[in-house]
Amino acid sequence: MAILINNRKYDVIVIGAGPSGVSSAVNCAKKGLKVLIVDLNSNTGGQIYRAPPKTYKSISKKLKENEIQKQLSNEIKKFKIETAYNHTVWQVSPGFKVNAFNETSTIQWQSKSLIIATGTYEKIIPFEGWTIPGVIGLAACTIILKAHHFIPSKKIVLAGNGPLLMLVAYYVIQFGGKIDAIVDTSSKIDWIKSSFSLMTNPKNFRDGIKWVFKIFLNRIPVYSNSTIEKAFEVDEGIKLKIRNLKTGKAKNIISETIAIGHGLIPSTDITRLLRAEHIYDEQKGGWIAKVDRFLRSSVRGVYLAGDGAGISGALAASDKGLLASSTLLYDEKIISQKEFDQNTYKILKKLDKYEVFSKAISKLNSTPKKIIENIDNGTVICRCEDITKSEILRAVDQGARDINQIKSWTRLGMGPCQGRTCQYAASKIVAEYLNYEIDNLGYLTGRSPIRPVPLDRVLGDFDYEKITKVEAAPL
Amino acid sequence: MTETDVAIIGGGINGGSTGLELAKNGLNVTIIDKNFICRGASGVNAGTLTMHMTRAQLIPYAKKGWELWMNTSEWLSKEIDVEKKNGLCLAFTEDEEKLLIERSKIRKYYGADISIISIKEAQRIDPNINSSIKCAAFCEMDGYVSANQTGNAYSKALKENKVKILENYDVSKIDYHKNKYVIIFKNGEKLTASSIILATGVNLEKTLKLLQINIKIKCLPQQLIVSERMPKIMDTVITVANGKLSLKQFKNGTVLIGGGWPGIGNIEDNYTETKPENLIGNMMLACHAIPRLKSSRVARVWLGLEAETDDAMPIIGEIPNYENAYVIGSIHSGYTSGPYMGKLLAEKILGKDIDLSLFDIKRFL
Ligand SMILES: Cc1cc2nc3c(=O)[nH]c(=O)nc-3n(C[C@H](O)[C@H](O)[C@H](O)COP(=O)(O)OP(=O)(O)OC[C@H]3O[C@@H](n4cnc5c(N)ncnc54)[C@H](O)[C@@H]3O)c2cc1C
Repeated sequence: MAILINNRKYDVIVIGAGPSGVSSAVNCAKKGLKVLIVDLNSNTGGQIYRAPPKTYKSISKKLKENEIQKQLSNEIKKFKIETAYNHTVWQVSPGFKVNAFNETSTIQWQSKSLIIATGTYEKIIPFEGWTIPGVIGLAACTIILKAHHFIPSKKIVLAGNGPLLMLVAYYVIQFGGKIDAIVDTSSKIDWIKSSFSLMTNPKNFRDGIKWVFKIFLNRIPVYSNSTIEKAFEVDEGIKLKIRNLKTGKAKNIISETIAIGHGLIPSTDITRLLRAEHIYDEQKGGWIAKVDRFLRSSVRGVYLAGDGAGISGALAASDKGLLASSTLLYDEKIISQKEFDQNTYKILKKLDKYEVFSKAISKLNSTPKKIIENIDNGTVICRCEDITKSEILRAVDQGARDINQIKSWTRLGMGPCQGRTCQYAASKIVAEYLNYEIDNLGYLTGRSPIRPVPLDRVLGDFDYEKITKVEAAPL
Repeated sequence: MTETDVAIIGGGINGGSTGLELAKNGLNVTIIDKNFICRGASGVNAGTLTMHMTRAQLIPYAKKGWELWMNTSEWLSKEIDVEKKNGLCLAFTEDEEKLLIERSKIRKYYGADISIISIKEAQRIDPNINSSIKCAAFCEMDGYVSANQTGNAYSKALKENKVKILENYDVSKIDYHKNKYVIIFKNGEKLTASSIILATGVNLEKTLKLLQINIKIKCLPQQLIVSERMPKIMDTVITVANGKLSLKQFKNGTVLIGGGWPGIGNIEDNYTETKPENLIGNMMLACHAIPRLKSSRVARVWLGLEAETDDAMPIIGEIPNYENAYVIGSIHSGYTSGPYMGKLLAEKILGKDIDLSLFDIKRFL
C-alpha cells in the first residue's frame, strides 16, 4: 500500500527539528501533550546544527555545532517525544492533516494544532553564470563544512553579504582551503556602523570578531561594495568578473568554486498552503506569515516558531519555540493566564533584545538596488524553468502586474523549487522596473507538493487492480 | 458613467472568444473580470484537445474548436503554444475493452474519426505505452495547448481588437430598464450596456441570480499534477476507456497528469485543497499507462473549478425574459470547444441563423 493513514491523533505536530522546533516540542511534551516532531533530515539540528550523516563513523574534529545537535536529540529522547525523521512533508491541509514521504511510502498524520518551525532557505541574487557547476549557496557551503567537515574545493571565492561570509571564510581556512576573494556588496562602513548593534549580542559578536580576525591574519582579499557580475567555466575552473558598484571598476579572477548568498528567506510554503495571511517585511526577509506578538498565525491552531515569521537567528530560535508553544498551551487551556504571563514576559524581553541584533544583520544583508539593475537581461532568474530576466520583463510589458500572472505567462516558479529560489529576485526586478512597492506584486500561491515527490517512492509496486476505482466520466 | 455596446461578465475562454468575435465585427465590447483575464478554469485547465474524452453530443463542436486551436496565429495570437499529437485511449482489462469499443463507436457516430487498433499498432504509434493493454482507440485529431498562456494570448488579442478590459472588477448588481443594462460593481463604479453576456464559469449560478434566473450549477474541483522536466518519455496524448486520465508531455519536458480526480474546493472563497488519496490514484493510473513516468518527481499540483449543469450539457444562448441578454458556459471539455462556442454565440448575436437549441437554458426553468 502506498499511502498509510496513521489514525493516531496528535495534540500537536511540530514540523522542523531545528532549535525552535525542538524547544517547542519539549515544552509541549512537558505538559503532557501528545507530540510528533517531523523533519526531512535524519536527526535534530535543523540547518544550523545539522547532524553529520550516520554513515560517517568518526569525525576527527568535533565542532561546537555538533555538540549542540547532540543536546537537542537528547532532549527529544528524554521527553519520549515521537519523531519522524527522514520524512519530507509535502502537503498540509486544514484540520490538520500532514502528509509526508520517506524512502518507501507516504504517510498521513493528524493533529489538533501545528507548530511550524521550518526555518529559512537561502537568498541568492542571480548573476550571469550563476547556474554553472561550481557555483553553490553560501548557506549550503556551511552545511558542507559543519555537517560533513570538508571544503567544496581547495580554492574558493565567497560572495554576497552578511555575517555568513565571515563564518564560511573562518571554516574554510580552518579546514585548509584557500580563499581567493571575499566579494561583499556591503561597505566596510556598513560593517562598522552595524557593529554597535551587533554588540548587543556579545556571544555572537565575539564569534564575529574571531572570524574577522582570521580573515585579516590570512590576508584574504576583500572586495567591498562589489558583486560578481559574470562567471563562466574555463579549464582551470571558473573565471569570474567582480564589479565595484561604487567606482564601476571591474576585475577578473580565476577560482574553482563560488559560494554566494545574500541572506535568508523565511520558509512560508506551509502557511501559504494553509492560506494564512502574509505580509511583506524586507527587514525580516521578505514575505512572512503574519503573526501576533505571541506567534499565532491568522489560521487558528497554527503557530510559527523560529524564522518562519521573520528571521531572528539561531539564538532567538529556541526562545521563539518556547513562546509559540506557550501560546499554544495557553490557547488550549493547559496553562493558566498567570503561568503564560510569567513564561512569556521574560521571553518577550529577550526577543526584543535579539531584535536589535537581527535588524543589524538584516541591514548587512540588504539587497542594493544596483545589483538588481546590474543583472544582465539574458540572465536566467528561474533556473527550474530557464526563465530569463528579459522574459519576465516582456510579460510585464504585455501587462502582467502580479507575480502569479507573471508565473502563468512565463512559467517562472512553476518548477520543482516552486519559486523558492526566484520569487525574491524576480519580484525585486519587476518592482524596480515598474517603480512599484514590492508587496503590490503579491506572492506565489502555495501549491502542493511543497517538495518534489518522487513517484517511485510514493507509489511503490502496485497492481492495476489496486488502483482506486472511480466512476466513469459521462459519455 | 461609461457606456458600451456589449458588456461581457467573465473573461474566460468563453467570454473572451465571444468578445473577440464581436469586436472583430465592429461592436464596442467591454470584458469585465473579478480577477484577471483567463485566470479561472481557462488559465489552469489541462489544455487537452482530445475527442476521446469529449461528450458524444459535443463532438461536432469540439472538432471545430480543435481546428481553431490548430491555427491560433490566424485569429488569436502567436503567444500560445499549441501542438497537434496523436491520441491513444487505452483499455487495460476486458471490461474496459468493451467500454472503449462501445464508447468509441458512439463518438464515431457523432463524427469523431476514432478507430480501434491492436496492441501492436498502438505500440508502433507510441512505443512508451504499457505493453499489457488489451486494445486502444486511435484518433489523429488530438493535441494540447499550454493553457497557462491563455491569459496572455487573449488579453493581447482583445486589446488589439479594441476590446476594453476591466480586471479586478466584481459585479454586484445588474439593473435593467429602458432596454439598457446598468452593471454596478463592488467598488461603486457603474457601466451601461445595450447587451450583456454572462460568462462567469463556475460562478454562473450566482451571476444568473442577478437576473432572477435560478438554476443549479455544480462546482467540480479538479486536480492536476505536473512532473518536473524529463527527457522525452511519450509521444501521444494518452487517455483511458472510462475517461479518468489525460496524460501528455509538453515541449519543455514536463508531464501533465489529469483526468478529473476531484480535490476539495468551494466557489465562495475560491478555496481549493488537494486530496492526497485521489492524487495517488491519478498518479498510479498515469504510471500504469506510461511506466517510465515512475522515475520522475511531481513538481506541483493545482486545482481548478469546473462548472457542470444537471445534465452535464452546456448552457448557451438567450436569457429568457430579457432583451439582448445571453449566457455561455458549463461546457464539457470547454477549453477545446470554447473558441468555437464563443464564435457561434457571437454570430447569433450578430443576427446569423444559428441553432443553439441543444444548449437552451430554458430546459432547466
Ligand atoms: C482542472 C481543469 C482541467 C480541465 N481540463 C480541460 C481539458 O483538458 N480540456 C478541455 O477542453 N477542457 C478542460 N477543462 C474545462 C475548461 O477549462 C472549462 O470548460 C473552460 O475553461 C471554461 O471557460 P469559462 O470561460 O466558461 O470559465 P472560466 O475560465 O472559469 O472564466 C470565468 C471568468 O469569470 C470571472 N467571474 C466570475 N464571477 C464574476 C463576477 N461576478 N464578475 C466578474 N467576473 C466574474 C472569473 O474570474 C473567470 O475569469 C478543465 C477544467 C478544469 C477546472
